[in-house]
Amino acid sequence: MLFNILPIMSIITKAIATADRQARYLTIGELDVISDFFDNSQQRLRIAKILTANEQKIVNAGTQRFWERCPVTPSNSGNPTYRSSCLRDQSWYVRLVTYSLLVGDTEPLEAVGTEGAKEMYVSLGIPLRNLAECMRCLKEVALDLLPLDDAAEAAPYFDCLIQGLAP
Amino acid sequence: MSVYTSGGSPVAYPQRYHTLPTALLVQAEQQDRTLKQSEFKQLLQFFQSGAKRLDIATTLSQKADEIVSTAANRIFVWGSPMGYLDPPPNRVNLPGFSTGFGQAAATAVKDAKQQAQRTSYADPSVGLPVDLVNNWVEWLKFIAVRDIDPAPDNFYRINILSYGTRNMRKSMRDIAWFLRYATYAIVAGDTSILTVNVRGLRGVIPENVTAATVVAIQTMKWKSLGYFKQDAEAQAMIRQAFDALITEYQVEKPTMSVREGVSNQQQGLQLPEAYLLSANARPKFLIKPGMATTELLASIKAAYRQVFERDITRAYGLSLADLESKVKGGEISVKEFMRRLGKSRLYRQEFYEPYNISRVVELAVRHFLGRGLSSLEEFQDYFDVISKGGLSALVDALVDSQEYSAYFGEEMVPYLRGLGQEAQECCNWGPQFDLFNFSASVRKVPQFVTLFGSYQQPLPNQHAYGASNDPLETQFGAIFPDSDAKEQPAFFGKDHRRILISSGTGDPHDLGRVPGSLGSRVLKLSQNLNGHHAQGESMNLLRNSPEAAILGAYRQVFGREVYDGQRLTAAEVKLKSGEIPMREFIRQLGKSRQFRKLFWEPLYITKAIEIIHRRLLGRPTYGRSEMARYYDLCAHQGFYALIDALLDSAEYSEVFGEDTVPYERYVTPRGLALRSPNGTVDAWHNGPPGSSRRLTEAIPAAAPIVDISEGGNAWSWMMQRANRRSLVRLPDQPHSSNGGQSTPAAQPSTTTALATVESAEGQPVQPPSAQPSEPVPAEAPSQSSQTMTY
Repeated sequence: MLFNILPIMSIITKAIATADRQARYLTIGELDVISDFFDNSQQRLRIAKILTANEQKIVNAGTQRFWERCPVTPSNSGNPTYRSSCLRDQSWYVRLVTYSLLVGDTEPLEAVGTEGAKEMYVSLGIPLRNLAECMRCLKEVALDLLPLDDAAEAAPYFDCLIQGLAP
Repeated sequence: MSVYTSGGSPVAYPQRYHTLPTALLVQAEQQDRTLKQSEFKQLLQFFQSGAKRLDIATTLSQKADEIVSTAANRIFVWGSPMGYLDPPPNRVNLPGFSTGFGQAAATAVKDAKQQAQRTSYADPSVGLPVDLVNNWVEWLKFIAVRDIDPAPDNFYRINILSYGTRNMRKSMRDIAWFLRYATYAIVAGDTSILTVNVRGLRGVIPENVTAATVVAIQTMKWKSLGYFKQDAEAQAMIRQAFDALITEYQVEKPTMSVREGVSNQQQGLQLPEAYLLSANARPKFLIKPGMATTELLASIKAAYRQVFERDITRAYGLSLADLESKVKGGEISVKEFMRRLGKSRLYRQEFYEPYNISRVVELAVRHFLGRGLSSLEEFQDYFDVISKGGLSALVDALVDSQEYSAYFGEEMVPYLRGLGQEAQECCNWGPQFDLFNFSASVRKVPQFVTLFGSYQQPLPNQHAYGASNDPLETQFGAIFPDSDAKEQPAFFGKDHRRILISSGTGDPHDLGRVPGSLGSRVLKLSQNLNGHHAQGESMNLLRNSPEAAILGAYRQVFGREVYDGQRLTAAEVKLKSGEIPMREFIRQLGKSRQFRKLFWEPLYITKAIEIIHRRLLGRPTYGRSEMARYYDLCAHQGFYALIDALLDSAEYSEVFGEDTVPYERYVTPRGLALRSPNGTVDAWHNGPPGSSRRLTEAIPAAAPIVDISEGGNAWSWMMQRANRRSLVRLPDQPHSSNGGQSTPAAQPSTTTALATVESAEGQPVQPPSAQPSEPVPAEAPSQSSQTMTY
């Protein structure tokens, strides 16, 4: 929703923007950074694929675990609107994590997912502590699906999310 | 129209170009979906080819000179074109030079330096004959070459001698740029950066060298391909980039994208094509009869996203099946579909019932016209419609408007017309961008109307002089303090002056003499002709001893008592012996190494001037016009001239004279509030420490009415308001029972009095004869004018 205001910046875009501003070719240092990005991109692509394919599963399992930990929460109150918007937001956040993984930067996550989101949830009357707990459940469920080194790669993105939404 | 307030301006980055991942992600994000399998495949290919792309970019940038010179030698004749290629500007360590990566910063700086040193550029006038030979030899080589693209028919070689140095420099620069952008495009895996930068360039470069430019690009492509003879994949990438370059170059310059003005309040605007091109990745959705079902569904989803700001089927598990089937069957057009969505129960429930009418209008304009409100008049029109006919009349008015049909017609689903989609009006940016955010529907306060209201009537605490917003207040350690006023910064023009609060009783001659007053203590070191120090009125030796005055001077000038090693002992001795007066001593402190190091070197110029002014003259500056004078002084004559100017000023002589140690005479309202132990907010509501008077009441009441050409309306409105309020509150004033005969002990420690407000013409304005907040005996009205003019 925000992308018409704040473009997705990837590592490559940043490097080119800098080089272009200074009217020079990409330097060895910048090419190294991009090269690192390419090197582990296979892994990140693999993770993104797994997360995308299992999105529904992650959201459902995450919600169950969340409700076990926080039984008293708007989404568990029996109101269908609250429940479905909780599910929607979770799948939205899983999707944002896959986007961020693909550009190798937490910027989409921060720009769209966390900046101002806290205020939004507060004004909707959603307890932030529960929200953060929900994201934590999402993280645990999602990482369970991944092999160990993939999980290590994906974990920071979820952590960024949890930190951004923590009260 | 003069505008005194602003709705805030969020940082908006223009989209410049895409890389392959961002181009895919933006589209997926717009349609609220995860990436498709085909897109994953594209990404995989891109990532797999990454090493190769970098390899190409490295090779091309290392061989850049070679490639450029080959191209230049082919199109230029009679001279050495490379001599005209300017070295890249070396911007290392200049403002704006940043590398973007923390770890790469050092290498980037090094590389840039090396690059600047590596290329030695020959002087075009030297060694001409040799170059001429080379030039022709190069040319002969091309005749034998078979695999180069055929040159256009109208191509002829350009004679350097008749072409001119200036044109040569430009041409060489452009050729080098083409190569550079080609390497960027290869790394990005997307040619949009070329499209944005090169399209329409043909119209800028002289007509007769168009063919030559094309040939130069062709030659660079041929030369670059030559480095990767064995590698078909790399050749394909290079070919793609350079072909895009040639195609884009030859395209006619695109026309500006125009935003039509639809009413008298809204003017037409133009958007340069480059912005549109670089942001073009967002598809627009149409519904036409006979469309494929998947496209139809995508369009319907887009309509839901536009009107309900989210995907309703997933959010609420419901859909408007009846309407959907009608639009699928072609029974109703998209326009009609939008109208019925707006009149649906769901829309009423989501965007009408929870909000007040003003906000409903704002949200509806976003949903059906894809923009924010543009002016108060426009708002009033729609407000009129909705208050007469309700929500359905408003929806009708929006959907039937001329603007709707001009932009979206019958078939297109409305879209958000934000940055990059079309030219933006240069007003209401903050609310406009907030409105496009996902969280817009959470905000219940009508943003546009509040802003339009502020345009006409700035509230006191939004005003530059007002409670929470003094843009020039300087605080140590916090250049841009966090405050609530950030959202609506005040207008502060060159003619505005800020209110300063006297820290004392307000009478300059009274300062420090009234027992019990907590104002600044005045230290004096008077000297008679014999060099002996005269005793002040007080018999307190501690207060007026030379040592106390010296310590006081250090405290004032440095803000603290300095360490023993930092004291200017020589100057102290001279002062004690009567050789120099106090003013001279202050001057030497001001010009000392420590002072310069503390308040000049580490600070940016505005802050330095502001602080030094407070230290030496004992008051903040009044505003921009005063600052402007000091900027000029600092720029032309530097630090020492600034100190001299302050100490030799008429104001210094009048207030401190030769022998008084400067003291803090005035503070800004915000500065005063900051000193409250309970914080700013508390000070505003309950008065500064030690005083029961509220700042909010005190300030406007004490301020005389001024006629400043720009801020006049705002002021008079403030004054009316303030007077009305203080008249009502008069009986509650704590001192009124004393009938003005307040004993010194009951005197508030910090009295508020207006420092000075002059009209823009420089005429001193007399304060009102009676100040409502500070009742004085009726027989002595003249004493109440605690106004000093400078």
